[in-house]
Amino acid sequence: MSLPVLQVKGLDKSYIGVHALDHVDFDLNEMEIHALLGENGAGKSTFMKILDGSVIKDGGRIFINGQEVNITNPHQAQQLGIGMVYQELSLIPNLTVAENIFLGRWPRRKLFKSVNWRQIYRQSKEALKRLGASIDVKERVNNLGMGERQLTEIARAISMNVKILLLDEPTSALSDEERERLFAMVRALKETGVSIIYVSHRLSEVPQICDRVTVLRDGKKIDTLPVNQADESTLIKMMVGRNIGERFPKEKIQEGKEILRVKNLTINGRLNNLDLNLHQGEVLGIFGIMGAGRTEFARALFGIDKINKGDIFISGKRVDISSPENAIREGLGYLTEDRQGGLLMRMAIPQNITLPSLKRFNRFGFLRHSDERKIARDYIENLGIQTPKLDQKVEFLSGGNQQKVALAKWLCSQSKILILDEPTRGIDVGAKIEVYHLINDLSKCGVGIILLSSELPEVLNMSDRILVMSDGSFVGEFKGGEASQEDLLRSAVAKK
Amino acid sequence: MAKKSSNSKIFSLEWLKSLVVTRQKRAKLLIMTMFIVIGGVFLYFAVTAPGFLTVGNATNMAQRMPADIIVAVAQTMVIIGAGIDLSVGAVLAFCGSLTAVSFCYWGLPVWVAIILGLVAGLSIGSVTGLIITKGRIPDFIATLGMMVTIRGVALILTGGLPVPSHVTAVKLRAYLPPAIIWLGSGKIFGIPVSLIISLAIVAIGWLVLRHTTLGRSIFAIGGNKEAAAISGINVDLTKIKTYALSGLLSALAGIILIGRMNSANALMSDPANLDSIAAVVIGGTDLFGGQGGVIGSLFGAGVLSVLKNVLNLHNVQDFAQRVFTGILIIGVVVIDQLRRRFTR
Repeated sequence: MSLPVLQVKGLDKSYIGVHALDHVDFDLNEMEIHALLGENGAGKSTFMKILDGSVIKDGGRIFINGQEVNITNPHQAQQLGIGMVYQELSLIPNLTVAENIFLGRWPRRKLFKSVNWRQIYRQSKEALKRLGASIDVKERVNNLGMGERQLTEIARAISMNVKILLLDEPTSALSDEERERLFAMVRALKETGVSIIYVSHRLSEVPQICDRVTVLRDGKKIDTLPVNQADESTLIKMMVGRNIGERFPKEKIQEGKEILRVKNLTINGRLNNLDLNLHQGEVLGIFGIMGAGRTEFARALFGIDKINKGDIFISGKRVDISSPENAIREGLGYLTEDRQGGLLMRMAIPQNITLPSLKRFNRFGFLRHSDERKIARDYIENLGIQTPKLDQKVEFLSGGNQQKVALAKWLCSQSKILILDEPTRGIDVGAKIEVYHLINDLSKCGVGIILLSSELPEVLNMSDRILVMSDGSFVGEFKGGEASQEDLLRSAVAKK
Repeated sequence: MAKKSSNSKIFSLEWLKSLVVTRQKRAKLLIMTMFIVIGGVFLYFAVTAPGFLTVGNATNMAQRMPADIIVAVAQTMVIIGAGIDLSVGAVLAFCGSLTAVSFCYWGLPVWVAIILGLVAGLSIGSVTGLIITKGRIPDFIATLGMMVTIRGVALILTGGLPVPSHVTAVKLRAYLPPAIIWLGSGKIFGIPVSLIISLAIVAIGWLVLRHTTLGRSIFAIGGNKEAAAISGINVDLTKIKTYALSGLLSALAGIILIGRMNSANALMSDPANLDSIAAVVIGGTDLFGGQGGVIGSLFGAGVLSVLKNVLNLHNVQDFAQRVFTGILIIGVVVIDQLRRRFTR
């Protein structure tokens, strides 16, 4: 048994009031893919950031190939062969792929110190080829899909000759197809001698590509297991620290009257004659791979994007939805795919919750702050939003709690029809299950829910009925519980 | 025993060490020191300035500040909404001139002249807002264009001459009405009327921003336009209202200013744009929107006025004053940024 490539002993880091990492031991073998799991706030990010030099450790020792190192800045980490791919992609959209890969370290010619473009293009091509990716290096990044961007980011890391690659939730924005490509690439990379630490929220990915799993909870290491001993329920128990019961606690609810009917909704070139209906208390899942038009449909229905054609009926009455303001008045709510885009991060919790229903808190033109705070307090209690104080700014909450604030917005505006776009993306298992319970509770109150998701198990298990979307059209309909993952996928990728 | 005695000393080595153990604490100490040093230097020059601590000087300052304060309130609202209004100075000059011209040359009653000036400001602001929202033009460009345009219109209106002027042929009244003079330089119980008005505007600005749906909407679109729109905030209307308010307040400042100077001209108040932005920034409002308030801007306008006054009293020439003002703005913002970064 050779020496581990990376060995960490007693790594320790505290922020004000939080012990982010509590004497964590960790080791990474050569050519190993080592998964690092944990709920939000478990210390995964801090761990990665210490290794990549953007956070300084308080205590503990780090060894690379048996030699103790002291990493104090990202540049030094690069010198040591550590490369990090962040969850939020750090590419510059209006530069080309090659320019991004060599960002900040463009090779110069001897003469006049001018940039050596030929070398940039050649080496970028090589890096991408090593990943098995066929991306034009002269393409601008904003013309690429999420998967290609992710690959570009990884190409940047490996072009620096990394020995240890840190991947922070690389698949959270990818479609299944793109994810498979990424996995193949990660495996190929491993064969070329790179060791990888892989952080993910998706437990199902772990057995697919990882060799070992380490679970962190509350800054402490719980255990490291070989992947064949780590089945999903064991891992969840380790992460959450208790038995959380069923992963998809779907309850069957008696459906009521039809609440929403959409007819021939069309945006030229993007959405084609979409028809659907939704009943009170029903959860209608809409599944589709990336780019199928799920979010476009949600935005059109909610009046953000203008539609070319189509009628919307709410409770049998034809309505005209030309702006989100109208949509909210008609009883719609829209939980956006991306929390940053749906919340005012620098505003406090109460202000965020009441934003869609400001008019209700208005008396003679003045806001009733006391009512606002009272309502916010109610939602914090009912939804179990964990916050040190009522006036906490939303940016300081964890992902799961942010999502609950976003949901509280639409509960407060008394939505009758709720569009949930990827409601559990990027939040930890415990919070996911809480969101599912909330979906059940809403159904019981007669709210109709449209659940847009690219996570198959979620759509399959939480929906009463599932529509499959592809290329801006609905291409299949299934009853919840009757379809299998294969059915949905086949339908979603079938050519018309 | 020894330990106890060292604890009881106030300036023990341990105490000093405890102040600098963490990065945050070191940064806080540094920032505090900078504030105290800069504040101390400022205070020293203020107190040693000949005639600074006299009633006359205080009254003088109190009469010079109001127009600046009102424009700063307008600018605060615009900046919190993630905009910027470069046309405040031009609108101020135009509306002031319009009021003067309509009284002196057109012979309108004084109250009509004042209302005309205010309505003009409101309308110009609304047009600016419309251009930005419906024309989808960046705030900076739209207000820059308005600044040049409105200044030009003001010059055409006044023929480039002060109003009232002895040169002009059409001369119905060669004086400004007492009501406007009273607004600009009158006093109630020794307190300038203009100062009372400007403080009232600050209070109203605070009320609007903190206690009305309009204010909340302004914060929301400044914080995240997309999220605000999805939450049902009418982004365009909010923006138009903000610029309309800015125009209205600039017009009010213009009328107060001509009352104080007893004359209007199209080129007055040229530095109002940058001064108001500086006041807002010194007052802690985030230039990118979403955070801040009018009370800070009142403080910022005050600091700038006192600085100018002190430099004047020390006989620093006007050109050098600009250098000082610039350094002050940069210094305050740098300290503020440091504070934000380290007190998270």
